[in-house]
Amino acid sequence: MKWRNQTVFVTGATGFIGGRICERLVLANVGQVRALVHSPHKAARIARLPIAMPGGSLLDRDSLRSALGDAKVVIHCGLGNARGIVRGTENLLAVAAEAGVERFVHMSTTAVYGLTPPPGSETEEAPVRATGDNYCDNKSRAERVVARFGRGGMSTVILRPSIVYGPYSAWSIRLVQSLRQNAVALIDGGRGACNTTYVDNLVDAIFLALDNDASSGKTFFITDGEAITWGDFIRAHVAMLGLRDPLPEISSKQVLAYYKQQPGLLTGSVRATAQVLRSRQFREILLQIPLTQRLLTGAWGWLESLSEDRRQRVRSRLGVRRPAQVAQATAPIPDPVDFATQTGTVFFRINKARSVLGYEPRVRFRQGIAMVEQWMRHANYL
Amino acid sequence: MGGEIRLAILGCGEITRIGHLPAAATHPGVRVLWLVDSNVHRAKSLAEQHHLDCQIGSDYKPILPQVDALINALPNSLHTPVNLETLNAGVHLLCEKPLATTAADARSCCELAERKGVLLAVGMNRRFVASHTLLPIVLQERSLGELLGYDWSSGGVFDWKSASGFYFSRKLAGGGALIDYAVHLLDSLIDWFGPASHFDYQDDDWGSGIEANAILQLQHDGQSGPVKGQVRVSRTYPLSNRLLIRGTKAQAEIPSDDPDSVVIRRQTGQWELSETLRLPDFPHTTTFYKQLDNFVESIRGNQKLKSNGWQALRVIELIEQCYANRRRIPEPWSEVSSAPDGAVR
Repeated sequence: MKWRNQTVFVTGATGFIGGRICERLVLANVGQVRALVHSPHKAARIARLPIAMPGGSLLDRDSLRSALGDAKVVIHCGLGNARGIVRGTENLLAVAAEAGVERFVHMSTTAVYGLTPPPGSETEEAPVRATGDNYCDNKSRAERVVARFGRGGMSTVILRPSIVYGPYSAWSIRLVQSLRQNAVALIDGGRGACNTTYVDNLVDAIFLALDNDASSGKTFFITDGEAITWGDFIRAHVAMLGLRDPLPEISSKQVLAYYKQQPGLLTGSVRATAQVLRSRQFREILLQIPLTQRLLTGAWGWLESLSEDRRQRVRSRLGVRRPAQVAQATAPIPDPVDFATQTGTVFFRINKARSVLGYEPRVRFRQGIAMVEQWMRHANYL
Repeated sequence: MGGEIRLAILGCGEITRIGHLPAAATHPGVRVLWLVDSNVHRAKSLAEQHHLDCQIGSDYKPILPQVDALINALPNSLHTPVNLETLNAGVHLLCEKPLATTAADARSCCELAERKGVLLAVGMNRRFVASHTLLPIVLQERSLGELLGYDWSSGGVFDWKSASGFYFSRKLAGGGALIDYAVHLLDSLIDWFGPASHFDYQDDDWGSGIEANAILQLQHDGQSGPVKGQVRVSRTYPLSNRLLIRGTKAQAEIPSDDPDSVVIRRQTGQWELSETLRLPDFPHTTTFYKQLDNFVESIRGNQKLKSNGWQALRVIELIEQCYANRRRIPEPWSEVSSAPDGAVR
């Protein structure tokens, strides 16, 4: 379709991907760009651009109607809270349908297959199943909503990028900060599939999805098409920092053993509650209430009057125990989300995007990382 | 004027919530008579939070005859019209920074205040940190030796919960990081080193937006002799947030986390010695409280304003010149070639 002279509406514009989309739309001299702004204080980056920034919320259809204006093209990257992912997408589609939007590009994610996609999910035709992860499952529900509107006649395209990186990306900012704190270990030698997607490659794919009518109704994986591992990605940031020491390594087996020793949700919550109740700060608050002050002072006096042995037994019944010993970790333990993300083996194929959209990743990993480094130095992260 | 100063505060956004109102509500010489905001619910809620028995309104004009002084904390574009009305009514004024979005407007405010014989204070609350007073002492003592230059950076990811969101509108704010953040830094620098004789200005506005980042090279030719330096401000990047002044004998630093101090460092043989300077008995009140106190005592004739309209005008003049002569900060990571092969530079 011919869209470059039209008004383009972008959601998620105050985020990393949406912000870059707005910049690229300006660089492409698109007719007009309207960027939905839900949290004005996050808009510093896009406020530099000659674009309109109507306020609104994905959960408020009236605000979306007003923000959409005369746009006939929608690029939907907005998330919001868990509820916003699905309901926000549905609201936007409904408003877009009313307004006669001609192409709706939905930013999904390869995470619809879970944070650790199972082998067999290399192509878009692999069935999507519930993963148990809120974000992943909501993103796949949102895809189904898009598909429903697509069947209803709207021209929709679903793009599934993977690890989108580039200037302003939290992946790089967080990683550099963690590396500085010696809080990063290579899991299984860093062999996990990273599926990098340089942000400009993703924006190229969006533009192609708008250019090319054959994209309508289809879903595409979008990555850099290179077999970049997490080891490659992490080491590239190590090099930016000029660190020389080799990264500590940890095996999946060690990480899983560590997680197994951690208290579950219920046990952990009970222990945390007990800790709060026993804390000096909480006692001080309670002591401000005359009745509890009297009760606590009495209880404390009674406890102090007991023999050490009985006192320990009472403390033990109240759950005042030493925390269970955990195996001494030899390397930083990744959090469960990082662990799941970095232990996948699937490299997503972009053959469909290549053949239908004419997509070819222009920015190779080496170039992308060089631009990230240049930006991070300018932005004082390095 | 010896009794309580009857005060109105216009604009009940974030700066009033965290700065002006807590100061005014606790100052013994001030009675907050009116809180005015287009959103009267917000004004009422603020009054309740501070247990203030004051009147709430959405129009400031009828209240001008009832008050001695007014704090203008409205969005920047509303500063000048409200300032002129207020001064014209003979009401002393403390205007939140920037005094105006153009030098011509700022000058009009200054001139009117003089004609009417009322005070025009400007909310440059940085002047009320101890380092603002300490640094001129260090410079006067020449303990740094010959001044080699300064480097002042201030910035982080923007997180100001503006009630109206006016910050990101050029029309309402008059600009971005330069007029918002750097206005304080430039005010201090001009006060210490004299007006800028040369400057070179760059920002990252892509055209009709507002800058998130600004870099300014300056030269001053004041009493300390010629001094060159760089100011960098950001709404997107975590900068070092400190002022460093380098001299041939020592360097002085004002750390952002302790702006009531000046740290002097000098190399002696193999040792780097440092000493932290502080003002004795410096009150632990907020800068907003000290600013209000100075305003009140100036109205009573006991003090002189530490930050007046004419001083603010010098800063607005420089900012205006910067915007008029701006160059784009190079952002090679943002450029995408339009060449047919689409190669990304």
